[in-house]
Amino acid sequence: MSPARRWAGALAIAAAFIWSAWSTEVSLGRLVEGVPFMVDFLGRMLPPDLRVLGQALRGALQTLQIAIVGTGVGAVLALPVAFAAARNTSPRWTFYWTRSALNAFRAVDTLVYALFFVAAVGLGPFPGVLAVVVYTATVLAKLYSEAIEAMDPGPVEAVEAVGATRFQVLRWGVVPQLLPQFLSFTLYRFETNIRAAAVLGFVGAGGIGFYIQTYLRLLNYPAASTVLLVLVAMVMLVDFGSSRLRARLV
Amino acid sequence: MIRARDLSKRYPGGTVGLDGVSLDVGAGEFVALIGSSGAGKSTLLRCLNGLVTPTAGAVSIDGLPVTGASREGLRSVRASVGFVFQQFNLQRRLSVLDNVLVGTLSRVDPWRSLLGRFSGGEIERAHRTLRRVGLAGLEGRRADTLSGGQQQRVAIARALAQEPRVLLADEPMSSLDPASSRSVMELLRDINREDGLTVIASLHVLDLALGYGQRIVGLRAGRVVHDGPPAGLTQAAAEAIFGGERL
Repeated sequence: MSPARRWAGALAIAAAFIWSAWSTEVSLGRLVEGVPFMVDFLGRMLPPDLRVLGQALRGALQTLQIAIVGTGVGAVLALPVAFAAARNTSPRWTFYWTRSALNAFRAVDTLVYALFFVAAVGLGPFPGVLAVVVYTATVLAKLYSEAIEAMDPGPVEAVEAVGATRFQVLRWGVVPQLLPQFLSFTLYRFETNIRAAAVLGFVGAGGIGFYIQTYLRLLNYPAASTVLLVLVAMVMLVDFGSSRLRARLV
Repeated sequence: MIRARDLSKRYPGGTVGLDGVSLDVGAGEFVALIGSSGAGKSTLLRCLNGLVTPTAGAVSIDGLPVTGASREGLRSVRASVGFVFQQFNLQRRLSVLDNVLVGTLSRVDPWRSLLGRFSGGEIERAHRTLRRVGLAGLEGRRADTLSGGQQQRVAIARALAQEPRVLLADEPMSSLDPASSRSVMELLRDINREDGLTVIASLHVLDLALGYGQRIVGLRAGRVVHDGPPAGLTQAAAEAIFGGERL
């Protein structure tokens, strides 16, 4: 790239940044003015109202359950789709259309799917599960398919060369390479789904988010802070356990 | 016992792998296949066990057709032909023992093998072949924790667990250091002498071929340009194979 073009590129990026900051009304002054209110807000959240602890724990448990079922079903659905979306295991046009469909589905976030499913099947944790299933299936299908494409053909060929059947080649040539990666991706997705499921309650799709939103709306900050603390503790606990499991898979 | 007739292989895109190769190898022979890279050594070896389908010509092993064989037929021929790869092609995350057990797959009950349940007899056979290649005691190690030379021995043990009559080795030492190369070559020679296996090994190092092969087959541009005992490999013959570039 010539120096002139490089300068033009840098200038364009700087212009886009400044224009965006101006349009979004970014103001250091307003941020500084807001600081006392933030301190006040945090002050009002303390001490946490532990009378709602039972409620918060029940909400957290439901969020966990939404994430477990959503991730589990999503992973199972992702499996066949992933082979259709991998260049090396799929005819050209199947690959192309599956990948395009996955990209389109993935452009929409879990929360938007939750709005759709609440409208379709009503309030409660079930539309939350459906939302997590759809998003997880599309994300995992993409990740799985990339692992399939990166598979080493050598060990697969070696199993073919001993005179193994097709199922044996799959079991001893393909699965040992893919399974640890698939499990690792799925666990990672489970960690992310806990966070995604925590806000599903904002749109009536179950879990701990319902209590966060309710108490904030009622201006009951001590209760809201208890719920938030429970959420933080759960997310940290799941992240810790899951990342240790993932480390053992590599 | 190995019969290749007029093998030609043209890859999509026009690259010529083989151009009319005929080769007969008798039981118990140790053949060193030599030639520059791209001369067709790999393609020839892969045609012999059906990993590559030739564009023209035919291969048979012990009278059983490899070329044009049914899926079932090809599997039964492959069961008696061990193949050793340049890059070992082990399952890195599996144990040494599991990698060797892969060699018994054609003999075991398919459904039991899917569950990973091998019989005591097969496990004993796997242990025996690991002793044979000098790796007793490493059965439980993950394959990728071994050195390159050890990994190639695991791959040879996997091939031996097939109880094959033929061993094909595609540049078995080119990923190894000189010391490991020699010990792997000596292992192949012992297997040939003591167990009576027919061995065809492709080699890109001429002195290894001269030191271990009983018969040298030289390939150049997909054709056999030399075939004879090591003593017959004159300076002129070597130049005909390598085009003078290596000597």
